[in-house]
Amino acid sequence: MQETLLHVSKVYKSYGKSAVPSLDGIDFTVAKGEIVGVFGPNGAGKTTLISILCSILDPTLGSVIYYADGEKSPKEIRSKLGFVPQDFSFFPELTAKQNLSYFGNLYNLKKEELAQKTDELLQKVGLFHVKNQKVSTFSGGMKRRLNLIISLLHSPSILFLDEPTVGVDVQSKIAIMTLLQELNQQGTTIIYTSHHLKEAEEFCNQIILIDHGKIIANDTLTNLLNRHLVGNLEDLILKMTGTLLRD
Amino acid sequence: MKKLRASILKEVLLVLHDKVGLLLMYLMPLLLVFIITIVQNSAFQIVNENKLTVLISNHDKGSLGDSLIKALTNSGSFEIKKKDHLTEPSVKRTTIDEDAMLGIYIPRDFSEKLSSNADNISKLMLEQMGVIEKAPKIKPRKQEISIYFDPVVQESFRISVINGIQSITNGIENEEMVSKLFLEMGYDSIPKKIRQAITNRQTKLKIANASLNEEAEMIPNSSQHNVPAWSIFAMFFMVISLGGNIVKERLSGSFLRLQTIPRGFALTLISKFLVYLFVALSQLLLLFLMGIYIFPHIGLPQLAMPNAFLPFLVVTLLSAISAISYAVLVGTYAKTQEQANGFGAISIIIFAAIGGIWVPNFVMPDYMQAIGNISPLKWCLEGYYTLFLKNGAWSELIGTITFLFLFTGFCQLLIFIKLRIQNYI
Repeated sequence: MQETLLHVSKVYKSYGKSAVPSLDGIDFTVAKGEIVGVFGPNGAGKTTLISILCSILDPTLGSVIYYADGEKSPKEIRSKLGFVPQDFSFFPELTAKQNLSYFGNLYNLKKEELAQKTDELLQKVGLFHVKNQKVSTFSGGMKRRLNLIISLLHSPSILFLDEPTVGVDVQSKIAIMTLLQELNQQGTTIIYTSHHLKEAEEFCNQIILIDHGKIIANDTLTNLLNRHLVGNLEDLILKMTGTLLRD
Repeated sequence: MKKLRASILKEVLLVLHDKVGLLLMYLMPLLLVFIITIVQNSAFQIVNENKLTVLISNHDKGSLGDSLIKALTNSGSFEIKKKDHLTEPSVKRTTIDEDAMLGIYIPRDFSEKLSSNADNISKLMLEQMGVIEKAPKIKPRKQEISIYFDPVVQESFRISVINGIQSITNGIENEEMVSKLFLEMGYDSIPKKIRQAITNRQTKLKIANASLNEEAEMIPNSSQHNVPAWSIFAMFFMVISLGGNIVKERLSGSFLRLQTIPRGFALTLISKFLVYLFVALSQLLLLFLMGIYIFPHIGLPQLAMPNAFLPFLVVTLLSAISAISYAVLVGTYAKTQEQANGFGAISIIIFAAIGGIWVPNFVMPDYMQAIGNISPLKWCLEGYYTLFLKNGAWSELIGTITFLFLFTGFCQLLIFIKLRIQNYI
């Protein structure tokens, strides 16, 4: 039996006076070392869920508990969380190295550790040779890789990724996914959202399907495909959420 | 400390990369102070040092028109261009053609009417004193002269010129009246001693500047007025750079990442505050240095720094903190960078206008002066004027210090509420 890392219980989230909640009674558990894919149509509540899990938002109701040296809230475990937002969250006016140095210092890394980690990560995603270039000169794929490694500087034990491979070429995608797999093999738990369903099928151990703020499926991919008699993740999502366009 | 150092370094690098922001924060204020001080100094010199060109067409048949011109010449304020051939309507046009600030038309009957009025008044006085039995009833005939101003001459300037001319004509009228009085009493003219006494009768005006400090006096000039005033304006104009910078980082997603880093967001705000405090103080330092060391070399009055250094430092720091707080407030509430820049710039211009940066507060109507009290620039300016012009100290700065404290606190409270709602802090 795998050790539980995260327990989400009856999480409810609404914004302002909106009658429709973004999340409506979300319950699930994540074990250590899992790769969990959170899928669903646009507006289903994926980003809100990820934001609550990594302490950016507070739930209106319900609880999120991490089991790491006792029970911890998302805010208490921030130093062990890594978050890769969908938007490029760095400073394009600075060089790759300056960006890494800034965030590494905020993560309180020691000077030598930061230098070593910076070089190692830059090498892994093929950005070492451009480390002193301004990020504004980078291609979309290079920016996406930098966006990822900034979140890995402090070796987080849980990594949240919101569309980590959106808008990148196949080479960048492979580099990103290879690095993520490597991290997972080293014990990092990964929770991610993506619209690249083929990539997700190969990558995830656990699939959580959300629609209208509720979990409509939560299991391994194989179990879900067998239960709903479909051949792949795309068909599963279409079968469970319909073909109606979402805004 | 390491985290704060890294945050400050990042902010410094971002400020250095923002070339437009740097120009707005450093070059624009230098140019602004430089140009406006030169312009106001020239205006000051026109009024106080240069002679005003006056076109005069004198059609007076008597001698009083010439007396008026002589008195205007002797006043030292006017350079007279005589064009007696001009008719009244052509004076109106020629004033502009000849680049004169004003044109004066003296009609044919100026002396006659003035003399007749003086005669009338003197007879009434003699009647009152019992020297003559009854003064003849004469209908007063008002003498007049026409003055045409170049339309570009401002109202306040016109009033001071009119007052000057009025004072000269009053002198002529008085002298004529006394002269008539003596004639009625059988004298050929006013006795020399009396004429001398009349000439010397004017009240001597000992002019000095009011000062809150009995021992020292600041000399008001264009530098003392403009350098502090426009320095404050420049400091508050950092809303464009800092406000825009905050919106940009919020929209780019880096604020999101900072939310997941322990104390990341708070450190970023603190480092922004410290870096922009340095920017504001260095802006002031540059502008004051320009006033002290460069102005005298280009014919402008040298900026004299206040004697009360500690109060000056406190007012400067509070002004800078108010400017930064306002910029952060705009950056926190604006939804886009365009909104932050547009609203930020316009609000500062309005604050400057109602706060007396362009036109002194005291010349505004009462309700505008009351509205001006909400402008932080008004209070910063009041603080600086107390120090730079009135030589004041702590006791005169209570209003400024209190308002700036309250304003900063109010901004910080609104910032906190917004950031709390958005779960940043």
